[in-house]
Amino acid sequence: MTVLTTSKPISDCTSDSMLPMWAEIVKIEQEAPRIKTYWMKFKDPIVQDTYSFQPGQFNLLTIPGYGEAAISISSHPRHTEAIGHTIRLAGNVTHAIDRLGVGGTLGVRGPYGSTWPLEKLKGLDIYIAAGGIGLPPLRPVIYHIMDNRADYGKVVLIYGARTPEDLQFTAEHDSWEKAGIELMICVDSCDDTWTGLVGVVPMLFYRLRIEPKNSALLTCGPEIMIHFAAYEAIARRVPRKRIFVSLEKNMKCGFGSCGRCQLGPYFVCKDGPIFNYKKIGPYLEVEDF
Amino acid sequence: MTPEQELISALQTIPWFQDLNPEYFDKLAGISSLIEVEAGEKLYQQGDKQDYIYVVLKGRVAVEIAIPGKGRTRIYTAEPIEMLGWSSVTPVVRQRTASAVTVLPCLLVRMKASKLQKLCDQNHSLGYVVMRRIANVAASRLLVTRFQLLDIFSHSSDEGSNV
Repeated sequence: MTVLTTSKPISDCTSDSMLPMWAEIVKIEQEAPRIKTYWMKFKDPIVQDTYSFQPGQFNLLTIPGYGEAAISISSHPRHTEAIGHTIRLAGNVTHAIDRLGVGGTLGVRGPYGSTWPLEKLKGLDIYIAAGGIGLPPLRPVIYHIMDNRADYGKVVLIYGARTPEDLQFTAEHDSWEKAGIELMICVDSCDDTWTGLVGVVPMLFYRLRIEPKNSALLTCGPEIMIHFAAYEAIARRVPRKRIFVSLEKNMKCGFGSCGRCQLGPYFVCKDGPIFNYKKIGPYLEVEDF
Repeated sequence: MTPEQELISALQTIPWFQDLNPEYFDKLAGISSLIEVEAGEKLYQQGDKQDYIYVVLKGRVAVEIAIPGKGRTRIYTAEPIEMLGWSSVTPVVRQRTASAVTVLPCLLVRMKASKLQKLCDQNHSLGYVVMRRIANVAASRLLVTRFQLLDIFSHSSDEGSNV
């Protein structure tokens, strides 16, 4: 039996990988209240021309005097003329990035971390379960699938947010559907104008007819949602080895030196953020981890 | 196809009835009707003592609760093959604890709840299938309620965040 693994993390601890490269914010898009996509270009044309990343990876964004924040890349993995980071304004660093505005300069180091194992999932039905700010790390997966649609079976995006106003990338949803991705979107609460679903992401699994031998789940969002999405997939006999999760922990250094993002024997920044559930699942169920 | 045959065919499409002995479909048809409802119509109102249970065959129905000072809040939507008004089949007679409003045009099976309860009491194998389903519905609604109570998408953890 083969256990599918995520790709080997690209992070290393050489001095080059620790150096931020300067980038300019060229565009800002409001996705939802307090959530924006910041499009950046590297100032060094050689870095800009050679920069590449894989779906699931993240960069560390640096604002001198404020600190660093690990942010997943949310843009198209093949269109790197500008790199998109979708950020929820939460604390010092993210607010400082927002204050920079278009034309502002910040440090970017990366990409770091493991990737969604899309090559290994070819031929399978793909279920993507995202909650809230968990969608941006999965958007590059959607783009990859759209570009290579024939390589995958049924593709379903199960996406939940707090309210309809909190849904992200809504301008793109039609194009995702046209590309053959089924969308199941739900919100926790809404007013009368919303004609979509009210409920929670794990509940939407009740409405799916999953062929477990031929399916994989990729999920990112609040940890409790990840846990229950994986639980529902496992209840439908999707093997743990074909469930992949992206974890958000307090990443700091980016290569497993500081230990802030340690989860059991793993460092989320170095061994993740994408993990095979068979490997990481037991640690998600440990209280206080 | 006669209306009764049409109703039996509709009942046979409900997956959780597929364990039933065929003879029960006639009995269920005797206490059921097939109804078409336009979008925006109320199936039942919070506080009613209306005695029906519904199964959605097509469309979407919202379950809403009126909160004093806040107005109506949508807490759930039911999709095809989901059940609504199920608490009226449980032993304690209650008034409706929420309202149900169609969000899209709907086709529904409507069953007289008191008669269904009586059928279940008289035919335990039918009762087992119905109550097993209701237990499943209650468990899934409980999970939804837990998540809503947890408010997992709230930003309360942002306070004091360095990121």
